[in-house]
Amino acid sequence: MLMLGIFLAMVAMICLNMPIAVALAVSAILGLLVMEGPGSLVNVALDMYGGSTKFALIAIPMFVLAGAIMNAGGVTDKLINFVTAVIGFIRGGLAHVNIGVSLFFAEISGSAVADVAAMGSVLIPQMKKRGYSGAFSAAVTSSSASLAIIIPPSIPMILYATSADTSVEQLFVAGVVPGLIGAAGLMGVAYWFARRYDLPREEAFNFKRLSETFLDALPAFSLPVIILGGIFGGFVTATEAAGLAVLAAILVSAWYRQIDLKHLRRAMLDGGMQTAVVMLLVAASVVMGGFLTRAQMPQELAAGILAITQNKWLILLILNFFFLVIGFFLHSAAAIILVVPIVIPLIQAAGIDPIHFGLVVTLNLAIGQQTPPVASVLITACAVARANIWDVSKINIYFIAVLLTVLLMCTYIPSIPLFLVEYFYR
Amino acid sequence: MLLHATKTGLETVLEWFVILLMVMLTVIVIVAVMFRMGGSSLSWYDEIAAILLAWITYYGSALAVLRRRHIGFDSVLLAIPMPYRMGAVALAELITAAFFVLLAWAGFTVLSILGNMTLVSLTWVPVWFTQSVIPIGAVLFLIGQALSLPDYWYWTARGVSLEHAEIEEEVESEMKKAGHA
Repeated sequence: MLMLGIFLAMVAMICLNMPIAVALAVSAILGLLVMEGPGSLVNVALDMYGGSTKFALIAIPMFVLAGAIMNAGGVTDKLINFVTAVIGFIRGGLAHVNIGVSLFFAEISGSAVADVAAMGSVLIPQMKKRGYSGAFSAAVTSSSASLAIIIPPSIPMILYATSADTSVEQLFVAGVVPGLIGAAGLMGVAYWFARRYDLPREEAFNFKRLSETFLDALPAFSLPVIILGGIFGGFVTATEAAGLAVLAAILVSAWYRQIDLKHLRRAMLDGGMQTAVVMLLVAASVVMGGFLTRAQMPQELAAGILAITQNKWLILLILNFFFLVIGFFLHSAAAIILVVPIVIPLIQAAGIDPIHFGLVVTLNLAIGQQTPPVASVLITACAVARANIWDVSKINIYFIAVLLTVLLMCTYIPSIPLFLVEYFYR
Repeated sequence: MLLHATKTGLETVLEWFVILLMVMLTVIVIVAVMFRMGGSSLSWYDEIAAILLAWITYYGSALAVLRRRHIGFDSVLLAIPMPYRMGAVALAELITAAFFVLLAWAGFTVLSILGNMTLVSLTWVPVWFTQSVIPIGAVLFLIGQALSLPDYWYWTARGVSLEHAEIEEEVESEMKKAGHA
């Protein structure tokens, strides 16, 4: 009864557009007041401080910063030129370029919205000029940028790993294969559209142009090498890789002579603020965690669901559905911080691998970024394309279908996300 | 006029402070990786970097509330008919403010308990100094909330989502950079 009351209070506060972090902390405080009286209130300050000092989360400001510097540093154009030289000759070339560049950007930055704004503002106007509709351009940009959140480095994955107390490095590795399968699927759909609407090809494949654009983009490739190579090879932790990524981003941007102090200042500020709003949520979740532990709520939920079914595939299906619905209404960071600590005991009791589940959660939330009302990535892409959100969604359904297929594959064939993890770590 | 000047002033100060903290954190993380790879880890790295993260959280949060950038969900609120919507806004603002008043009080209470305790790795740094971020951050949040309330009130009464406005702003600046505006 108390739990239901707290839950309803939290939903009501979120609906009033209070910062979700505050809604989370206030509902936890109400619960603590009922259970333990006002004596426990001083602990709120300790929890809010402790929650904001989680060492593993230092990777968040570093990855956001690396992405922001690269976005400002002229890397976008070089990458687009290179990817165009590789796959631009296919029918619907710019759509494939869009997906390819998204994958690459995903290797650098943790923020899908910033990437869509940076990359979309270059590619979408080009696509429109070449005869692609604004709605189609926005749908491709939006879905491929969302897929990018399952490809390392990924801020939702860092948050999940902290909430579930599991390895962020392993989760990063788990995202690679599903990310590539998803990208191939998105390209397939784009190709189908291109045939149907007779969308143009870019220049024919030319080895000279490929090598020229490759050399031009070469410094930018240092980032994925550092991040993926460093982490996969076990040379650095995720946080260390993030720090090195910032250093590399500064050097690469300086090499391209595109970065100045004004851009760097803006990147630092964006990185700081994005970190702050996510970290306030994390801090508030510690207050909520204290309440949940005392109320034994996650354990009761686990026992309740396990009494109905012990079939882990059925439990995964239920959780998939639940996270998809949550993704409609909450940002991915908020959804992970709110829900993951509650369902983790259930995951453990049902014998589900937490890395496998982490990938499933992240993919669900990637799809959630495509579905209004809360769909920051989709809304950004629509704003760049000056396209109506419903027109875009009508086309985007096909791309979302690809993401859903990847989700089901990863849910029910765990070896797809896990075989690289097994290879590197187990 | 005075309100606007105060808001701009606080925003500028917070901006530079957050940038300073970010620069410090970046430098420390990079230097620490270099040291570890060179075979000698810095003993104070974990503790200091985590403290910097906490400071970025709360000073950055104060800046974020000045610009109303905290993660929220405004679809339901904006669907409430007027004038009830504004009643809902007033209630939400009051609860939020009450939380930060509580946090400031609890933060000050904790500081008085900490006394002469110091950090583990750097024994010349008192813990009250590092934890002062909670009460100070809470007070700054309250000020930021009050200063940004008039704008938020104005736009919410007109049914405009600030999240969409923020996205428009980001897109506009990127389009300008890409030469399409």
